[in-house]
Amino acid sequence: MLKRIAIEKISQLAAVLMEKGTLLAPVKEVAGHNFVQILDSQKVDLNFYNTLMSPKSAFFPHKEDFVKYKVGKPLAEAEPVLLNCKPAFLFGVRPCDVKSFEIMDIHFNAAGIIDPYWRARREATTIFGYAYDISQPVDSADFYNTLGINAADPEGSDIFMVKKDKELLLKTITPKGEKLLAELSALDKVSTADEKYFEEYIKKGKEYKTRFNCVDSEVVAKKLESIFDNTDFWTKMSAVCLSCGICTFVCPTCYCFDICDDNMFGKGTRSRVWDACMFTDFTLEASGHNPRTQVYQRLRQKVCHKYSYHIRKYGVISCVGCGRCTRQCPVNIDIYSIIEAALKA
Amino acid sequence: MSNNPYIPMPVQIAKIIDEVDTHDIKTFRFSFLNKEDEQNFKYMPGQFAELSIYGKGESPIGIASSPTQQGFVEFTVQRAGAIVPGLVTSALHDMSEGGEIGIRGPMGNSWPIEFLEKKNIVVVGGGFAFTTLRSLINYMLHKENRSRFGEITVIYGARTPGLLLYKDELAAWEKRDDIKTVITVDKGDETWKGRQGFVPAVCKEVAPSPKNTVTVICGPPIMIKFTLPVFFELGFSKENILTSLEMRMKCGIGKCGRCNVGYKYVCNDGPVFSLAQLEELPRDF
Repeated sequence: MLKRIAIEKISQLAAVLMEKGTLLAPVKEVAGHNFVQILDSQKVDLNFYNTLMSPKSAFFPHKEDFVKYKVGKPLAEAEPVLLNCKPAFLFGVRPCDVKSFEIMDIHFNAAGIIDPYWRARREATTIFGYAYDISQPVDSADFYNTLGINAADPEGSDIFMVKKDKELLLKTITPKGEKLLAELSALDKVSTADEKYFEEYIKKGKEYKTRFNCVDSEVVAKKLESIFDNTDFWTKMSAVCLSCGICTFVCPTCYCFDICDDNMFGKGTRSRVWDACMFTDFTLEASGHNPRTQVYQRLRQKVCHKYSYHIRKYGVISCVGCGRCTRQCPVNIDIYSIIEAALKA
Repeated sequence: MSNNPYIPMPVQIAKIIDEVDTHDIKTFRFSFLNKEDEQNFKYMPGQFAELSIYGKGESPIGIASSPTQQGFVEFTVQRAGAIVPGLVTSALHDMSEGGEIGIRGPMGNSWPIEFLEKKNIVVVGGGFAFTTLRSLINYMLHKENRSRFGEITVIYGARTPGLLLYKDELAAWEKRDDIKTVITVDKGDETWKGRQGFVPAVCKEVAPSPKNTVTVICGPPIMIKFTLPVFFELGFSKENILTSLEMRMKCGIGKCGRCNVGYKYVCNDGPVFSLAQLEELPRDF
C-alpha cells in the first residue's frame, strides 16, 4: 500500500500517531536533530540529514530501570519496574539506522538469554524508515554503502517513506505496517505517477554512493586478528584519542552497559545505563588488574569488536556506516580510515 | 533463573565460615527463600553467580559448593576494597547469619565433566582461587561419582598455613585413600608440620604422569606462569590443561559487553577454557 501526505501537514499525521501511542520523531534541538518523544505534534521536523544520537534509545534507553528497592529490606519488598509497552512509533529513521536494529536484535533478541526490555520495546514499536534525500550530496562521514546498505533501502522498516518535492510517500513493507497505515486517516491517495516515483527512487538509492567500496567482512576480521599484537599500529591510530567515549554513545550498534544502584534516603533504583569500552575503569577488576589500561588497547577493543569479534560471534559487522562517530569525534578519529589503514598494515 | 534475568532471587545466609586468619575471606552458605528458585538453580562445578545486594550492587563469584550437596549453595568471598571500593563484598562480610541477599545465576560453562570422565585428574590451586576447584573435588569424591574418574591428585598451596581455605575438608581428604592430597605453604609457622614450598616446585616433585590425565589449575597469575612450564615439561598437552578466567563482569549473561576476550564472553563462553582454547584468543585478559 502506498499513501501520501503533504510535508506541511505532517503534524496532523503526528497527532494521529500520538493518539495511538508514543511517538518518537526527529526534533530540532540546539545542536541538531534528535529522536525525542513528541508531546507537541508541531515539533516533528523532517528537515534533517541524520540525528545526532542514534535511535537505539527507542529500544535501549540511556537508563533503563530494573527494580525499585528499599535499602536493607527483604527482596520481596523490591518492586520490579514493569515496562509500560503501549504501541510506539519510531518515525523518520534512516535506512542505515534501521539496519542497526537488526544487528542489535541478534544480540538482545535472538542469541542466548533474551533481553526482556529490548524485546518488549521492539515488539511494541512500528518503524517508519525514511530514505536519505538523494538529490542532496552525501555527508563525507557516511560509509553505509561499505556495509551493503543503500540510501533508500526499505528493508527492516514497517513503513518506508520517500520525499517527493513537498510531499511524503509512505509505503507499507510489513503486515504490521500495512495494518497501521490502513487505520491512518490523515493520509491521501496516491497517483500512478507517485507509485512510479517511489519505485524509481528505490532504484536510484542503490546508485547513490557514500565513500569507500564494499569490503569483505571476513577479510577485515582476519586482518584485524593478525595485527592484534601490532602495538605500533594501534598506538599510532589512537595517538590523539581522548577516551571520551562519544563514539560509543552516538553509535547505533554499541550496546555495552553498566548496572548501577542509585540510593537516596534509604530507597533506591537498580538500573542499567550505557557504558563505554573507551573508559579506563571499564575492565578494572576487584583485584586491581585491568587488561586495558592504555588508550590503544581500548580503541583496539572497539574497532576489533565491531569489525572482527562481532563477525566471529554473530556473523555480521557491528557497524552500519552512519558516520556519527566520525562526525562527532572531537579529535577527528575516523573508524573507517582505521579499517583502511589496518588492511594495509 | 527467573523470567527476568536481571532480577535476583532472594537467599538467606544460613552459615558463615571465617576461613583465614586475616578474616578477609569467608564462606557464605545460602539457602533459597523460594523452593522454586532452589529447584531452578541447577549448577555444575566451575559455574558462578552474581551475588546481589540492593543498594550496593552485584559481584560475580564462583560457586564453592558441589551440586551433590543439597539444600544450599556456598560462595567463598574475599573482602575487596584495597583498590576498588568493594561495596558488595564488604557489605556481605558485615552481614550476619539470617541476613538476606539476592542471587542471579547459575552462569557460565563449567568444568567439562564429560571430558574429565575416565581420566586421571590433577587439581592445582593457589591461595584464594581454590573455590570452584573445591566444588569440582567434592563433586568427584561424591560416592555416586567417584568411580567415573581415575586417580585424583590435589596440589594446593597458600602463602601461610593460616591462609589455607577449607581446612577441615583438606584434613578429611588427606585421610582418604581415593584422593592424593598435597598441601603446601610458601612459609610455615611454628605449628606447621606440613610441606613448605611454592606450588610449581611441588608440582615438579609430585610429577603426575600426563598419561590419560587432565590438569585443572586456578591460582594467582604468578603461580600459573611458573606452574604451566612444569606441566609442559611433564608432557601435558594444552588441550589437557584447563583453567578458569576472571574478567570484570556486570550482567553475567553475555549482554553487557564487558568481559570479552576476543569474540568470547568469559561470562557465557567461559569462565572455563583449556590452554589450547586460550591460545586462539587475543592476549587481552
